[in-house]
Amino acid sequence: MSSLASSREIQEKVLATQGRPGAVHALLIVAAAAAAAFGAWCWSLQIRYGLQVSGLNRPVGWAIYITNFVFWVGVAHSGTLISAVLFLLRAKFRTAVYRVAEVMTVFGVMTAGLFPIIHLGRPWFAYWLFPYPNERHLWVNFRSPLMWDVFAVSTYFIVSAIFLTVGIVPDAAALRDATKGWRQRFYGLFAFGWQGTDEEWRHYARAYLYFAAFATPLVFSVHSVVSWDFAVSILPGWHSTIFPPYFVAGAIFSGVALVVTLLVPLRRILHLESLITPWHLDMTSRVVLLTSLVVTYSYILEYVLAFRGPPSVERSTLAYRATGPFAPLFWTMVACNCVIPLLLFLKKVRARPAALLVICVLVNVGMWLERFVIIVTSLSHDRIPFDWAGIYRPTFVEVGITLGSLGWFFLWFLIFVRLLPVVSISEMKEASVHGVEDAA
Amino acid sequence: MPDERSNGIDRRTLLKLAGAAGVLAGCSSPPGPQKLIPYLVAPEEIVPGMPLFYRTVCRECSAGCGVTARTREGRVTKLEGNPDDPVGGGALCARGQAAVQGLYAPERFHGPARRAQGGRLESVTWDEAEAALATALAASRAKGSPPGVWLLTRPEPGSAGALQKEFIEKLAVPPGRRVVLEPFDLSALREAGKRLFGRAEVPAFDLEQARTIVSFGADFVETWLSPVELARQFASGRGKVGPERTRLVWIGPRLCLTGVSADTWLSVRAGGEAWAAVALLRFLCDPTQGIAGLAREANAIFGALEGFDLAEAERQSGLPRAAIASLGAELAQRRPSAVLGPGLLSSGADATELAVAIQLINYVLGNIGRTVLYGLDPLEDPPSPPSDLRAFLTAAAAGQVDVLLVHHADPCGTLPTALGAAPALARVPLVVSFSGVPDETTKRAHLVLPDDHPLESFGDITARRGVIALSQPAMTPLWETRSTSQVLIEVASKLPAPATPLPYDDFYSFVQSHLGKLFPGLSGDELAAAQRAAQQAGVHVGKVEAEPVVLRPDPGLLRLAAPGPPPQAGLALVVFPTALRDDGRGPSSPWLNEVPDVLTNVSWTAWAELAPATAKRLGVNDGDVVTVATSAGRVTLPACAFEGVREDVVAVPLGPEALALVTADLDAGSGAPAWQAARAQVDPTGRRTRLPRLSATPYEEGRTIVRTVSAAAPTVPALPATGKMYPAPSFPVHRWAMAIDMDRCTGCQACVVACYAENNVPVVGPEAMTRGRNMAWLRVEHFVRVEDDQPRVDLLPMLCQQCGNAPCETVCPVYATYTNPEGLNAQVYNRCVGTRYCSNNCPYKVRVFNWQEPEFPKPLNMQLNPDVTVRSKGVMEKCTFCVQRIRFGENAARDAHSPVNDGAIVPACAQTCPARAIVFGDADDPTSRVAALRRDGRGYNVLGEVNTLPAITYLAHVRDEGP
Repeated sequence: MSSLASSREIQEKVLATQGRPGAVHALLIVAAAAAAAFGAWCWSLQIRYGLQVSGLNRPVGWAIYITNFVFWVGVAHSGTLISAVLFLLRAKFRTAVYRVAEVMTVFGVMTAGLFPIIHLGRPWFAYWLFPYPNERHLWVNFRSPLMWDVFAVSTYFIVSAIFLTVGIVPDAAALRDATKGWRQRFYGLFAFGWQGTDEEWRHYARAYLYFAAFATPLVFSVHSVVSWDFAVSILPGWHSTIFPPYFVAGAIFSGVALVVTLLVPLRRILHLESLITPWHLDMTSRVVLLTSLVVTYSYILEYVLAFRGPPSVERSTLAYRATGPFAPLFWTMVACNCVIPLLLFLKKVRARPAALLVICVLVNVGMWLERFVIIVTSLSHDRIPFDWAGIYRPTFVEVGITLGSLGWFFLWFLIFVRLLPVVSISEMKEASVHGVEDAA
Repeated sequence: MPDERSNGIDRRTLLKLAGAAGVLAGCSSPPGPQKLIPYLVAPEEIVPGMPLFYRTVCRECSAGCGVTARTREGRVTKLEGNPDDPVGGGALCARGQAAVQGLYAPERFHGPARRAQGGRLESVTWDEAEAALATALAASRAKGSPPGVWLLTRPEPGSAGALQKEFIEKLAVPPGRRVVLEPFDLSALREAGKRLFGRAEVPAFDLEQARTIVSFGADFVETWLSPVELARQFASGRGKVGPERTRLVWIGPRLCLTGVSADTWLSVRAGGEAWAAVALLRFLCDPTQGIAGLAREANAIFGALEGFDLAEAERQSGLPRAAIASLGAELAQRRPSAVLGPGLLSSGADATELAVAIQLINYVLGNIGRTVLYGLDPLEDPPSPPSDLRAFLTAAAAGQVDVLLVHHADPCGTLPTALGAAPALARVPLVVSFSGVPDETTKRAHLVLPDDHPLESFGDITARRGVIALSQPAMTPLWETRSTSQVLIEVASKLPAPATPLPYDDFYSFVQSHLGKLFPGLSGDELAAAQRAAQQAGVHVGKVEAEPVVLRPDPGLLRLAAPGPPPQAGLALVVFPTALRDDGRGPSSPWLNEVPDVLTNVSWTAWAELAPATAKRLGVNDGDVVTVATSAGRVTLPACAFEGVREDVVAVPLGPEALALVTADLDAGSGAPAWQAARAQVDPTGRRTRLPRLSATPYEEGRTIVRTVSAAAPTVPALPATGKMYPAPSFPVHRWAMAIDMDRCTGCQACVVACYAENNVPVVGPEAMTRGRNMAWLRVEHFVRVEDDQPRVDLLPMLCQQCGNAPCETVCPVYATYTNPEGLNAQVYNRCVGTRYCSNNCPYKVRVFNWQEPEFPKPLNMQLNPDVTVRSKGVMEKCTFCVQRIRFGENAARDAHSPVNDGAIVPACAQTCPARAIVFGDADDPTSRVAALRRDGRGYNVLGEVNTLPAITYLAHVRDEGP
């Protein structure tokens, strides 16, 4: 850790982020709101005219919406990983970045959760997916992976929202004491009457540890469950036992990459360069590199398994993936996920936030494409060749809803960073004190 | 109302006993404005929720299959074959199934109309319209004798035709001016019969007896003569392994569905069929071959063919001598056989020569009287000789026609454009059309007097000698239409003196008196009983035997040996009808448009078919727009590659495009149009279009989806046994199952249309079809494979397999789909939220999703089956073996306190199958037919290795490489 900020400095820096948004920030909020509104309008078209406004067909019953769902759930992974797993592992670089990751998690799940509803033929009956007592004695099918999704995602949302709220308590108290007016009342709400006594701190630290321990399995369970949407089916290209670890690695990969994608501009806009330092970015990008290697390994494994042994439908599907009409997307994905992240082996690249930003944006493009390619190419190429209909092409409604989901996510995020501290004041202070002690 | 008792029959009683009665007011002959309103006092026959059945006859083509019309609450919802009818035998083809959409066609004329100033049709009253026609007829008559009045009609071998003849006589019009127009009449066969045996007849066939069938372009499972009957006869010899199985040889430039069913395809050059037939005839008669048991004239025939140049025949037909020899050897050995043709596909400039050669082959082999039957053509109202039509066209073009009456004949829409029907009609001052729907001729008509739909009217036709099919109204006329025969009676009564009215009160009484003639020697109660029985059965079958024929001494054989013009380079045009699009008007209803052609799986458009090699040579890909030009015309069409056409052929399905391309050449022998083999030029336009088609590839792509067996390997190898973690599913009540015999299935797609009709399957249109959103619950898939340069097409009707171990069920989060205690994979439409996960997980992809709100444009919505939900947008739907019919059968059995008998429940697809390829029943009942078929060695499950445990067993097609 290079330059350590003093406690006062940390508090002032973070407090400075909690003000009226500047012109750039305000513009971004308006742009995000506009995108979200456009997406909502597109969805209204879909509700009105049915899914004919999408490019879906038989056999391609899922495409961009489910891609977006998996992508956003994946993105949401980094939050728990960074805050809970790295907390338990006592990784020091986590302190500066974990709040961003947690916020991203909560809003990522909120975005992801829209898509299972959007993709329904009759979204107005989405509540039927919940097992609630009803006069018709209808129940849900717990054998369906979609049902598991409902529970995995809602559990994950609840736990990560609680984790975020708990983490904010001391910070909110600090800000409550430093502000006046409506902000004071607002922070007071999140401070839950926090006084900062030793007793409170002792309970808090213990509670936080338990939450971290409780959340850690979710890192592995949620995306394993999401991968079961595919792995449990019998569709060649989906039906594969390596999907759970492969999807978890991919999720962490894309999630951490998105953390970096958000941090780099954020530290400039909010003037947090001294708190979120190149060292933090360096350490985070190493996680990106590691998961990239895991993902590359999974890709290779998938092909090796299919191409060893007798010819199979799965082999044909994977060959189609790499050589068929979707091959440009497949090879773009390979470039983004497997080749470009190798640059992170270079210290010089890791030290340059701009380079990291470019790489991490490409990683997210690649990871989005990965899900798209898995979903669409497998569906396009099922067992009976007569069913191979024309090529799936997304329509403006699907693209619009996807843009809208980005707008929706960033709208929440951009508002959040002006209302609550995006860097943990208490943990940064603690780290600076420990750092001084370590130096001494 | 006429006095109903004047004929000695209580009409009301008669109709009731006809299994019908129903809305009797609607069945009465003077049709008037009848409104469909809820019953205040319901007729006692109509029980809400219970179907009422009426026997009548299908008029979609001239075969005359008997149908049973199912009505609910006074409206027809579905047509099914009449099992008492010897022609259809209880089955219907795709077009017969779709006839009900003609009844509810939104474009139907709602009443009489007159061409107004500015060219629009404006409504008039029936009185005005009939008076206008009577005036015009009287004026023509006053001008001179004979009057310039012509009548173009479809064949009406029954009361309607008889009445027309009387009407014409009243007007002092010569009988030759009543032109019976059948665009695809087999004039060549009539001519050949006349030359050879002195019988200008189209023979009937008994293919059940034939051990080998050779078809020269006669697509008898789709469109030729009486396809439902012939397909049934043909299929009766299928589904066997070994020599007793009927063999089929297809000789044609394109593989139509009959060719797909064939064991051998001899790919003959378009226009070279007659050469091949004569070469075959010569081979059979050749004394050096030593074929025993030939007709004694064989030697004389061989003598007449002595000078026939076999090398020239090879060149002209494109068939090697060895192929003819092996076919000849097979025919010599496997007797009796049947040689069929010519069909439209082989009707070129020498169709009569071909027909003569074919019938001579049948004659020398002794097939005539056994499989080819003369003496059964009713000859009651046969199509006029082609010269009559030409005489009309000449007279019309010369301005000598004052009034033209057109009754269900569409000269502008069904004849080759080059014959000039449209410009000829333009010179006729008064064209009167009786068509119920707009067509090319009504566009040029001055007066439109729409006829009732056959399902709304009385009538009768003689399908063949001794088989009289009776039609009766199954429901009240929808619109202010009027039976043409009734109109003729009324017009005759309006004619000024010296004409006298026809001596009938109405057409119904005419039909009664006409039918009385069918029962000679009967009177009083006996006659009434016989008539009642005929009405009840829908058909009267008399005992008529085929008659022997005698070969005339000099049939003019020498002409067969005359050398033809040398084969020309370039592409030959082949036009072909399909099971869905019969004549030049193209598919006539939304269902027939939407159901894809089975071999190219293109829907909603015509296309230009090229062999893949030809397409490659021309630089044309599927979906490229090309121009096809002949000396007659030029059209643009999307191109479509198909392995089943010769490389020197461009094939176009019948429709306006094909009609524009066919030249004015005639078959020299019969004078009928020469449909085939015009020289054609195909050029890419550089434009592309997305074809509305079901599949992107016709190949199996290296996988084994469809299985076949052969005499050497008569069983499908069983799957390797693997350990199962779970017990096999068991079904407490029934296990409904189906067996589909692929050796019988011809791919006619009658089942597909029947499914649309029974299950309220919506039509989505061409745009949605290009996006892969076809809604059919049942489709006929096909897989092309090329073996030894010979393309093979394997068909595969694909519908929900009702898996015992259904992959769709476990993934549905809301239990919208589940296996019911009868083994059906049920779909609860109300519960479905539309995740489409079930479809993704279905290896057969037989679930269809409602991408949009289904549309049933009025009054097509009246056809909807009230027993089946109309699904809404966002819901997944699928085949359930017609669960409503299963429930109906189970309820009936329960009411009768009996178990459900095997065969008592039949899904719509199995019910209509002309080939009887689909068998349905309870697999848990060891005595059921389906249980036996599931144990057949040819039985297999598609994708059985996925362990879905389907309820559908396919019986493998038998590969028969030689006799």
